[in-house]
Amino acid sequence: MHETSTSVACAQFEEDLVLYYYGELGGGERSVVENHLRGCEPCRFYLKELESILPLTVKPDEPPEAFWDDYTREMRRKLTEIKGKKSWWQGLASFFQPWVIPVTATAAVAILALTLTLGKGFWSTKETPQNDEAFMEILPAAENLEFFETMEVLDAMDLLEYIGSPIKGSV
Amino acid sequence: MQPRDEDLVALARNGDHRAFEELVERHKQKAYRIAFDFARDREEAKDLSQEAFLRAYTHLGNFDGRSGFYTWFYRILVNICLDYKRRKKRTFAEEFNETVESQVEPSHVSQKPPSPDQQVLAGQLSRKVSAALEELPPKQRTAFILKNNQGLSIKEIAEMMQTAEGTVKVHLHRAVTTLRQILAEFA
Repeated sequence: MHETSTSVACAQFEEDLVLYYYGELGGGERSVVENHLRGCEPCRFYLKELESILPLTVKPDEPPEAFWDDYTREMRRKLTEIKGKKSWWQGLASFFQPWVIPVTATAAVAILALTLTLGKGFWSTKETPQNDEAFMEILPAAENLEFFETMEVLDAMDLLEYIGSPIKGSV
Repeated sequence: MQPRDEDLVALARNGDHRAFEELVERHKQKAYRIAFDFARDREEAKDLSQEAFLRAYTHLGNFDGRSGFYTWFYRILVNICLDYKRRKKRTFAEEFNETVESQVEPSHVSQKPPSPDQQVLAGQLSRKVSAALEELPPKQRTAFILKNNQGLSIKEIAEMMQTAEGTVKVHLHRAVTTLRQILAEFA
């Protein structure tokens, strides 16, 4: 992009000159700019430059009537298509209406509470036989333990008898 | 008495297809012209403005009525045009460089009759303006097009761009300064 020399307006008036060109200055501000323009040639030249350059940036375009007819027809077709697409996902989206979420959440909490309350007995009856089975496995071992303990006592008695007998033998 | 835009929006939201078509009829020319100022191509302007209507239709639920339908809809349109420009920027720059080098009209304006000097100049100017507008940051370009080409007031532009009027004035001034420097040779 190359730059070509342009006129230089007074820095403090440049923005106001643009707004003045577009008719966007209020009464007071407009008078100030107009007074300044009377005595400032660079600003007058700057304004003239805006008047000659800015209209060039508008590209004229006047489509024929047939264009607008096509436009309307195409638009109707596209709207019909989009309406068809909308209908299936709108049905799905309607499931997620604002009231559905809290109602579903409340129902879920209620079901959970009922499950925990009523299900407690169910689970405990299932656990009992398991405990019993374990107990039945441990019980014979415990009985054996008593047997072994009895045997230990008898062994101890035999030992005492044995200790006593050699003394007798030696005499 | 004709229903207001907002009444038509309410009807369209309740499933009245015709109400939205009426909104399209009311705004299609203005929408097309704004899109044309951004795209500078008839077919693309048509596509962009139609896309804006379709997006508005599918998002009617988001229209809260705080601004007018006009402001809301044109905001959608400008965003679509800026997105399109972003996507097209590289392609356009390449096309512009090629055409300037060869001094041949680009394909999308090839319907113009070739040859006479004035038409060559007009073609050069048109391309230069397009390239100059392309150089502007999106906010400056938007403020400039809406003011210079569409004649909207600073207040309307500020509403559309959801910014302060002072900010719009700054964008406009900067855009004009840049364009003036680029296009000075055509003054």
